[in-house]
Amino acid sequence: MTRESEPNAPAVAAVDVRRTYELGGEPVHALDGVSLTLPAGSFTAVMGPSGSGKSTLMNVLGCLDTPDAGTVELGGQRIAELSGRERARLRGREIGFVFQTFNLMPRLSAAENVTLPMLFAPTVEGRRERARTLLARVGLEDRVDHAPSELSGGQRQRVAIARALANDPTLILADEPTGNLDTATGDRIMSLFEELHAEGATILMVTHEPNTAAYADRIVHVLDGRIETIEDLGSGDPAGASSDDSVASAGGDA
Amino acid sequence: MNLPESLRISWRSIASHKLRSTLTTLGVIIGVASVITFMVLGGAFTASIVGDLESFDEPGMLVWTQTTPADGFGVIEVDAAIYTEHDVERLEALDGVSSVSPTASIPVTQTAHGGDRVTGTVGVTATTDGYFLPEEIVDGEAFTAGANEAMINAHAAQLFDGGVGVGDELTLSLPDGSSETVTVVGVVEEADGFGSSPMLYVPTDPFYTTTIETPRETTEHAYSSLVVVAEGPESVDGVQTAILEYFESDEADASQLKQGDHEIAVQTVDDAIEQVTEIVDQLTILIAGIAAIALVVGSIGIANIMIVSVTERTREIGIMKAVGATNRDILQLFLVESVILGFIGSVFGVLLGLGVGFLGVSLLEWPMVYPLDWIAIAIAVGVGVGVLSGLYPAWQAAKTDPIEALRHE
Ligand SMILES: Nc1ncnc2c1ncn2[C@@H]1O[C@H](COP(=O)(O)OP(=O)(O)O)[C@@H](O)[C@H]1O
Ligand SMILES: [Mg+2]
Repeated sequence: MTRESEPNAPAVAAVDVRRTYELGGEPVHALDGVSLTLPAGSFTAVMGPSGSGKSTLMNVLGCLDTPDAGTVELGGQRIAELSGRERARLRGREIGFVFQTFNLMPRLSAAENVTLPMLFAPTVEGRRERARTLLARVGLEDRVDHAPSELSGGQRQRVAIARALANDPTLILADEPTGNLDTATGDRIMSLFEELHAEGATILMVTHEPNTAAYADRIVHVLDGRIETIEDLGSGDPAGASSDDSVASAGGDA
Repeated sequence: MNLPESLRISWRSIASHKLRSTLTTLGVIIGVASVITFMVLGGAFTASIVGDLESFDEPGMLVWTQTTPADGFGVIEVDAAIYTEHDVERLEALDGVSSVSPTASIPVTQTAHGGDRVTGTVGVTATTDGYFLPEEIVDGEAFTAGANEAMINAHAAQLFDGGVGVGDELTLSLPDGSSETVTVVGVVEEADGFGSSPMLYVPTDPFYTTTIETPRETTEHAYSSLVVVAEGPESVDGVQTAILEYFESDEADASQLKQGDHEIAVQTVDDAIEQVTEIVDQLTILIAGIAAIALVVGSIGIANIMIVSVTERTREIGIMKAVGATNRDILQLFLVESVILGFIGSVFGVLLGLGVGFLGVSLLEWPMVYPLDWIAIAIAVGVGVGVLSGLYPAWQAAKTDPIEALRHE
């Protein structure tokens, strides 16, 4: 990482963000005045009922969507001031997405999937080497040339995480990354996120499961497009912040 | 995103739908193949016939009778014996004329060599020894007027078992029931390029006996065409004009013997080349039209498959945008894909066209030609078809909303 990162400097800052959809003539306030700052190196979980605006928040912070009002600052740049092209480039360099449904390119191998973000960020050198290193980092050094269809769900999500890390992003956005996985596999994926967090990555993760949310430093509870409460878990061992024993044992096993 | 990477990714998606990609490019393949086949055949035809005509740099010209057929397209040759001995003598006397050889076809019903009979296929032409240039006689020598001698071309020689050569005898059956035996004294290779049909040449004396009543109330031999050789290339134009003037005058027997709708023409080698080239040029326009239709169909096919492909890959487009692809990157990917399809189509079209063309020229015993300029044009057009048919689908892909695309199942 070459960018200067003063401790506690925000990776992302959103101020009074609003996003309204039109649904059958009725306005739906998917985001209704959300302000949120993600300090560099922080791990934040987002919880809330279905339709409360979690995915919309992800999309806005990840430069996929533009807010109707309010400002989002990412890596020191206000995204509203950027052209579509600049936003795409910024998204490629600064954001790593991890999705519930993995979203790998079906015809590309694991290594090629990991290479993909580097193809759209022309300055990255040694793509192949880096893809191998990243796959090794997520424990898939022996699956480099496999197609997604030849991998298990957990392995696919590892490839997706390696891909999210490809351009060394400022922020990793994960939308229910364990939602399609069984508990044991989900726990291994979570311990991978925990390791990334320990290495200094900034993570925002949507989840439904309290066990998963317990890995974070804090939990943002959203309801009807607003932040209801922010629950601070304190940084450190997720087991320490959780009252649930199974989380502690799962974290220890992985 | 750089071009080699786009090529690799686009190629991957083409290769994963082999049958579909093949069918998609069929229109382009057919369009390009038809052009290339025709250009090979046309080029070979020109090389074979025009090449021979051009090598025939002797100052010869053909006097013949033509008429315009009822459908009004082109001209056809009339086989009417109207050129009298008087006409031949007058032409021989013109300034710059070296020789005049009358020709007439003899209606021989059957040609036999030993027990081997050939019916109908061999054309027998009566002429004089000036008809052939010395270099056209590849074996033996010219026949002598008044003798039962003949010259044969290679095509006719091969019709008979074991071939026919100098010194062999042939028996010709004439329509009146009589037959004549001739000795082959020479083998010829006609320089006019029309040597692909079997021909036998015999002296007018004694074989051509047809006589007519001339307008001057004499009885003379009359011929259906004349070969006039000028003294040198520089006198060809003058001689051509002089011959035409002669036939426009009342002194010419042929002018009065010909039917009203017939016309006497004097064709030089250059005229013949021009005619052949004109026919090839007209066919070229026709083929280009057919090819254009095939290419339009081909580009609609590519556009159609690209639109389907964009819809199928909506989610992939969303993924690529999420990991940093700009609209231009997506546009480039899909455009590269349709250009690859157009390019592959034209390459296979060229190969198919060359193959079919090669078969054709082999059968016709023409020389193979490689129409390099047309190959280059065909590939450029194939790439152009790819660009045109890919533009709309690629633009559709580029403007896909990534959020919608990622929800897409
Ligand atoms: N493209 C859209 N068009 C209309 N309404 C939408 C669209 N996207 C999201 N919404 C609405 O916005 C609200 C928030 O959606 P979302 O952010 O996906 O919620 P969550 O991820 O928390 O389930 C929902 O009511 C949803 O129906
Ligand atoms: Mg959601």
